[in-house]
Amino acid sequence: MSATAFEAFLARLYVDAEALARFRANPRAEAARAGLSPEESASLEQMDWPGLELAARSFAKKRSGKHSKGWRGVFRRFFRRTHL
Amino acid sequence: MKTNRQTRLAEHETRNTSHQSQVTSHDLGLTNHARSDRVGLGWRPELAAGIFAHFDQIDVVEVIADDYFDSAAEGAGYSWPFSRRQQNALRTLAAQVPVVLHGVSMGLASAAPVETKRLDAMARLVGRVRPAAWSEHLAFVRGGGLEIGHLAAPPRSDTTIEGAARNLERARAIIGARPEVENIATLVLPPGSAYSEAEWMARILEASGCGLLLDLHNLHANATNHGYDPIAFLDRLPAGRIRTIHLAGGKWIPAPDGGRRLLDDHLHDVPVEVFTLLEEVAARAPQPLTVILERDGAFPAMSTLLAQLDAARAALARGREKGKRKLENGNEKTDIAERSVALSSPHFPFSAFHFPGLSA
Repeated sequence: MSATAFEAFLARLYVDAEALARFRANPRAEAARAGLSPEESASLEQMDWPGLELAARSFAKKRSGKHSKGWRGVFRRFFRRTHL
Repeated sequence: MKTNRQTRLAEHETRNTSHQSQVTSHDLGLTNHARSDRVGLGWRPELAAGIFAHFDQIDVVEVIADDYFDSAAEGAGYSWPFSRRQQNALRTLAAQVPVVLHGVSMGLASAAPVETKRLDAMARLVGRVRPAAWSEHLAFVRGGGLEIGHLAAPPRSDTTIEGAARNLERARAIIGARPEVENIATLVLPPGSAYSEAEWMARILEASGCGLLLDLHNLHANATNHGYDPIAFLDRLPAGRIRTIHLAGGKWIPAPDGGRRLLDDHLHDVPVEVFTLLEEVAARAPQPLTVILERDGAFPAMSTLLAQLDAARAALARGREKGKRKLENGNEKTDIAERSVALSSPHFPFSAFHFPGLSA
């Protein structure tokens, strides 16, 4: 699997609560379904789970604009305009 | 006798004049090389009046570049809120005080190529404002068509080192100057990493030739959350590459495992640990540094922010003194070692001429 696809998988975990929940329930199966290599799957299984959860929450707050002042607001504005 | 502000402005004008004459499509001549340390603030609309009223205490202003990207990006699905008029206002600001531009959404530290339209927008802004420098983060912000919404730490691997180096070279080619690259705060250790953060950063700096914007609160938060020594981290970085320092504050948040983590939120005062790190950086990096205080909300009185700038100046001064002592001690040790060699040398009488202290 390519490095860009691994980044895409990580991005999905950060922004998609359901994908994160599925992954937490069965990381190996989810990683395999996404086409990750056994090494990549192993690195995800050993992940810093509390950190991942906190980061996902923090990113969600920023996307929703709760911390929208200063340069963090740039991301909020961008996200609202592009809805990518 | 010139005041500090007059000296600063003269230096600023000299730089602007000289770099205008050096501009080529591939070398804008941006140099964040002040002759002395300078300390300033991140520009925020809420702080505008205070900044304008205290130029005598603010040596430099950092502006979020993405806020000023022009509407040329609209055709590509972007609709930025600021117009040419705001860019001209920014130019006016840059004529009064050294300005540095700070980008936040390029996602340079990624295996994926940075979007050309973002580099083009930065190139146009840099061309209009002519900042002292521009900077971006070593982060990825999107992947697989998803916007993460903030700066995320990519896997610290050879692939992202190579990707970052490619992206930084494209940025240099399109914008005309290399950015200074900034370390980010991360609540999660990125999976798939082969390197420590310090080694990963050092390799990117080496591969790209970029200067370093070292965010000391990000360093403090990462070291606290992930259990490493921030001083050892500093020792692993090439100190000579440090150009700019960010200072900020944060708060503790509860973690799902019952512990707690330090969040870099830019909403609190700079903690003492960060000033201590600034002192350590100043002791290691002899070149002039640009220090920026970042505050994004819960704004205190301007006097409180100015007091933090003074605290930064004091930390720089302590660090400079420490660095000087270290250098002197090092020279002294070298002298003693050389004298010992000379004394034990069969050519001692001749060698002694080179060491006046010995012949006295």
